[in-house]
This record gives sequence, structure tokens and C-alpha cells, in this order.
Amino acid sequence: MVIGTLRDDLPFAVVATVGNFIAFNFALRNVIDTGNITYPQYILPVVLVQVTFLGVLTAVDRAARDRQSDFGIQLRTLPISAAVPLMARMLYCIIRGVVVLLTTFATGYVFGFRMIGGPLCALAFCAITLLLTLAVSLGADAAGSRLGDSPIGKGGTASQVLLVPQMLLVILSTGMAPVESFPDWLHTFVEYQPVSQVTETLRGLASGHVMVGNLATTLAWCFGMLGLFGVAALRMQRRTT
Amino acid sequence: MTENAVSHNSLATESLLFAGRLLKHWWREPVVLVQAVLFPTFLLITYNLLVGKSLMRITGADSLYGLVPTCAVAGALFGSLAAGLSIPFERDSGLLSQFWVLPVHRSSALTGRLLAEAGRTLVATALITAVGVGLGLRFDGNLLAIIPFLLVPVLVVAVFSMAVMAVTMRAKSGTALIWLGVPVIGAVFASSGAPPIALLPAWIRPLVQYQPMSPVIESMRALAEGTSATWPLLLSVVWAIVLAAVFGPLAVRGYRAAAESGS
Repeated sequence: MVIGTLRDDLPFAVVATVGNFIAFNFALRNVIDTGNITYPQYILPVVLVQVTFLGVLTAVDRAARDRQSDFGIQLRTLPISAAVPLMARMLYCIIRGVVVLLTTFATGYVFGFRMIGGPLCALAFCAITLLLTLAVSLGADAAGSRLGDSPIGKGGTASQVLLVPQMLLVILSTGMAPVESFPDWLHTFVEYQPVSQVTETLRGLASGHVMVGNLATTLAWCFGMLGLFGVAALRMQRRTT
Repeated sequence: MTENAVSHNSLATESLLFAGRLLKHWWREPVVLVQAVLFPTFLLITYNLLVGKSLMRITGADSLYGLVPTCAVAGALFGSLAAGLSIPFERDSGLLSQFWVLPVHRSSALTGRLLAEAGRTLVATALITAVGVGLGLRFDGNLLAIIPFLLVPVLVVAVFSMAVMAVTMRAKSGTALIWLGVPVIGAVFASSGAPPIALLPAWIRPLVQYQPMSPVIESMRALAEGTSATWPLLLSVVWAIVLAAVFGPLAVRGYRAAAESGS
């Protein structure tokens, strides 16, 4: 199951990463004023989050497909734990996350991104990214399994439901531009929403200066989502008649 | 007997029938609706929030005049791509072959699809423009300029959907569309004026200025600003005719091959 998806979806993980990085970089490098930090250095974390979200959209479709396809139904009758297909899908999401990380670093280095913080920070950088990947993938899986029985899921396009919300979170975040670039009335949302917090932590880790409060918020978001979505995803796997 | 019935049917009514089928299909399938209307509308709002202030600082002009055309055209293309995803299924399930043997004008399935794409784009562009007006876009010159403004994306989508058909009629699955969609949509965003062309690296500037999407966005911007749009409009039409001359026959031949593949 994992291998089948690897073949179809993984090339897109690579292409989307490189494409997003180049597009953001070209479109906004000279438009957004990031002060004394270069734009490739500034933008890399949000590219990572954006590509993770795009990957998560495909996870919705995979979960929906496993829910309603004949193969999925057969899997649920096998004498294996009901959570096994879920674990397989999550394993793939993690593999995808690693590939995305490697591609992002490779592209980023070409454009001048540098990991200044040292190996420990780099390790934390990767750990937080993968934690986020797993957390949102679990949420996507729960959503996909839920939608799998509905007409939307049968069309194989359940992921479209999440397309607009993920875009709102990514574009209206301090990952794209410092908070001063946004209109005043939007500042509170832009500053405190999860994508802003996570990208700020990642940027801090890359440069070696992390603020403890910000790191705590990020970890709270990640573990909170992991717990909530994990329970939701597991509950969706129960055998039903 | 039946021959009589055939000759009385006009191409126009049959095209309308096929167009109606597609529109009904799209209305029920969220992917086309999301891609053609919802996504570009929100993209316009958020992108404007993101770059509006910075661009005002750099250029002193409102970025909306570039962003509304960009999102309208991009939305038309997104919609067309999403609609094209179902073509391989329609071919493999034998639906296209069934249309092929119906006693209707041979080309009505194709003209119907073009008609449906045009209709969807017109409505979507009107909606996106309305949101743009809500954000502060004004037709500074003649108010009647709104009519050609709404029709430019329709022209683009008519040609683009020929290309989509040319690809999907033969493709195994919808993923081939990505290779068509990414460069075209990239070209649209490159012409948006966000970033201003002067801020791009020198080697890429001619590429941005002379690609087919550039006069399209330029003419819509000129129509909204009330300046002369004749030259970019003319260029857009010339590009459209040239590209249609390439992709039109390819689409027709692709459709014939797909319909005759039967199953």
C-alpha cells in the first residue's frame, strides 16, 4: 500500500517543493521587506509548511479512497488490527515529510538559505516539521475517512474542502511577510495563528536564536493537534456494519 | 425517417444540450466550483492583503488592478483543468463513444464543452470582479469597459480548454494536465504586476513581457484603468488565434481517437 502511493505521489512532493520555493522567492523577494534577513532565509519555513499542507490534501483523498474502495472494505474484514491501514497511511506521510524536508534543504541551499544554528537546532528543526506533518496528516486522515462515505468522497475530490482554509492560514501568516506588511486590523490573527508560530520557531532554529515562549506555543500546537487528531483518526477506523 | 430528424436538429441546440450536461455535472461536483470560483476569490483577497501594503510602498499604485485580472484568468484556467480531469474517465467508461454514435452533429459535444467553459468563466469572472470592486477596484474610464473586461478571460479559457482536451483525450489519467497547467498559470501570475517587472532579474524580463498571458492581463488592467487597451487586446486576439489554430485541430483529432477507441 505504501509502495503504491510512493510511486504515484512522491514525484509531486519533490516538484511541488521546488516549484513553491522558486515561485514564492521570485514573486515576493523584492516586494516584501524582511529587514536584515534575506528572503530565502525568511521564506523557507513557510514553503515547508505549504508543501506539507499540500501533501496533507492528498492524504485526505487517500483516506477517503481507502474508506470506500472495495480494497478498503476487504482490508477491514481481515484479521488485523483496524488501525493497521491508518498506520500504513501515516508511515507514508512521514516518508513524504522526510522527502519534502530533504528537497527543501537542497533547493534552499542553492538560493542562499543556511542552517546557522548548528546540528542540534537542525535536528529540532526536522523533528518539529515531522511532528507537524504527522499531526495534520492525522487530522486529514480523520476528515478523509469521515467524508469517504459521502458523495464528495466517492468523487475522489474530498481534499478540495480543505484547499481554501489551508491557503488562508499560509498566506495570512508571518511566514510570508513580517506582520507590519499586513493591514492593521489583521495583525492579531496573523501574529497568533499556528502557521505563524510554527514558521517563527523554525526560522529561529535555523538561525540559532529561539524564543522559549514561541517554542512552547509551537510545541503546544503540535502536540495538541497530534492528540486531538490522533484520537479522531483512530475513532474513524472503527469497524462498522 | 431518422435522417429527417437528424437534419432538422441544429448544431446550436445540441451544443446547448451538451453544455447543459456539463454545467449540471460541475454544479454537483465540488472540485470545479471550488477551483473556478472559491479558490481564486480567496486568493484575490488574501494575496491583496499580503502584498497590497508593500506594493503601495514600492510603486505607489493599487495592486488590485493587476490582481483582479490575474485571479480571474487563473480561476478560469483552474476551472478548466479541474473540468478536464473527468475526460479520461468519460473516455474509459465509454461515454464519449456513446456520444459519438448519437444522431447529433459530430462536433456538438466539443462545441458544447467550449460553450460550457465560456459560460462558467463568464459567471466566475463576474463574481471575482464583484469582489474586486468590493475591495476597491474602480472602472475609472468608461463603465462599458466592463463588458470586454469580462470577455477577455472567456477568450483565454476557450483556447485553453482546447489544449486541455488535446491533452486529456489521449492521456491515461488527469496527471498529464499538471504539465500543461503549471507553466500556463505561472505565466499568468508572472504578468500580474506583483512583482513589478522592473524588480525581476534582467534575464527573465523579456520572457515575462512577451509570453501570451502578458497582453491578456495588460488589456484587462488597461480596461479597468480607463487607458487605451487597443494594442494589448489586439495582441491577445492574435495569440488566441495562433494557439487555437494549433490546439483546435489537436483537440478534434484527440476527441475522434478517444470516441472511436470504444469500450
